[in-house]
Amino acid sequence: MALICLLIALFAVALVRFAPGFGADELSLDPRWSEQSRAAHSAQANRGLMELYWLYLKGAARGELGVSTSLGAPVAELLAERIPVTARLVGEGLLASWILAVSAALLLVRWPAAMADIPAALLTGLLLCLPAALIALGCVLAGAPARLALAAIVFPKLFRYCRDVLRHLADAPHVLAARARGLPDGRIVLCHIFPAALPQLFALGGISVSMAIGAAVPVEAFCEWPGIGQLVWKAALGRDLPVLVNLTMVVAVVTLCANAMADAAVRFWGQAGTT
Amino acid sequence: MRLPRKAALIVLLAILAGSVFSGFVVPHSYETQFRDNLDEPPSWRFPLGTDPLGRDRLARLLYGSRLSLILALAAAAVACVIAGAGGTAAGMLGGRWERLFLGATDVFLSLPWLFLFLAVRGLIPLNAAPITSAIATFVLLGLLGWPGPARIVRAAARELRQADFVLQARAAGRPLYRVLLVDVLPNLRPVLRAQFWVSVPVFIAAEATLGLLGLGAAEPLPSWGMLLRELENYDAIAAKPWLLAPATALVGVLVCFHLVLSKEESLS
Repeated sequence: MALICLLIALFAVALVRFAPGFGADELSLDPRWSEQSRAAHSAQANRGLMELYWLYLKGAARGELGVSTSLGAPVAELLAERIPVTARLVGEGLLASWILAVSAALLLVRWPAAMADIPAALLTGLLLCLPAALIALGCVLAGAPARLALAAIVFPKLFRYCRDVLRHLADAPHVLAARARGLPDGRIVLCHIFPAALPQLFALGGISVSMAIGAAVPVEAFCEWPGIGQLVWKAALGRDLPVLVNLTMVVAVVTLCANAMADAAVRFWGQAGTT
Repeated sequence: MRLPRKAALIVLLAILAGSVFSGFVVPHSYETQFRDNLDEPPSWRFPLGTDPLGRDRLARLLYGSRLSLILALAAAAVACVIAGAGGTAAGMLGGRWERLFLGATDVFLSLPWLFLFLAVRGLIPLNAAPITSAIATFVLLGLLGWPGPARIVRAAARELRQADFVLQARAAGRPLYRVLLVDVLPNLRPVLRAQFWVSVPVFIAAEATLGLLGLGAAEPLPSWGMLLRELENYDAIAAKPWLLAPATALVGVLVCFHLVLSKEESLS
């Protein structure tokens, strides 16, 4: 994971280094500076990629991530202010979407009726066809909270996956054996189908963090939510590369950690299931 | 073919035809300004009214549909070419190359694409021409959209690696690149075709999100995302419901795509 983070950092620094206008400075247009001073300044500004990378890593180790060109504030301060705000939104939205998705999928597996399946398929199908920004905009128009917008974006993907996994397991031999023994349907779903689906749901948990962080950009932009989604949107509009690359790094680390935790949970559950 | 799929296909073809032959449907360009008809409601002359700059909304919707559909197809082609090349090579070579390839796709798939896109989008100069920014948006979408299809192509190529005709070709001394081009790629065509069509609605929706955020095509060029920006004027929507026409068209097209592609989606 450390190697992947270093590679992403290199990618981020390369973006800044090769962006149009890199090294350009107001100083180069200031007639009060001599030609030699301008040349010296330009040589210092136009550093090579690897030198920049090394400086970036040294700065990052000290907690210095540069200064935002559009907001004029240190990037580390901006991130420290906004990460908890986004974490709350993503946490609440994900919790709501997971509870909804798993409950609805369990209910559909417990009572597999076409009457319930068709509306569920239509609702999730329609939500999947709506671009994330349009869902966020619709929630703003309806006066719904931002967390609901985020849940509405993530829910259909989670629900469809959960429903498919649970349905697949409903035909597994151990479930058929439990049915043949006459166990109640509710107990079969909760004690035999759901636990067997947990490894796959843990794996989906890691991916859902990435989905929710991506969905946070339009949600925060339209719902005026002052988190990193709104920050990255404003930075992209203002071509604020120091903010963009550091945010990409932070998001990469968070999603890689979420996936690593999901993998660990899958392994732990697998071992617990076999012992 | 079931009835909903047939109906969806007809609607899609009608929208595609309307957008491609927009010059026959509306007689003026998307950027022509009618300065005596600013912000007008729908009429016989302007069926969807005009915008605050006096431009015909129907002309902009039709031209925007053409741009979004054509560029989404192009982005899907870019993604499938990368996925096809990488996935086939990784599946056929196997070993560490395959592991390296899977690691790369895992990293790309685990990162939120919107953050990556915004970081790379920052490289496009502010003074880029509108068509350049539109093309760059879709090319970037294509470049970031390859990992999902690539994993599926890799899995299909891996199955072919042990197929009798591939083993026979390798045993006959045919070079690997010829085996890839002559024996493997033609057999991967159905998988690539399915991935191509499944990617198109994804890129259309992605462009709409970017356009609404102000990061898609630039004025005066219309795209679906750009046209949706009028919805940000919340108060105007109740008084002018025709502002919802681009959103309705976009959602209609995406629903039709999902209906038509339901079989391919279930396969992927």
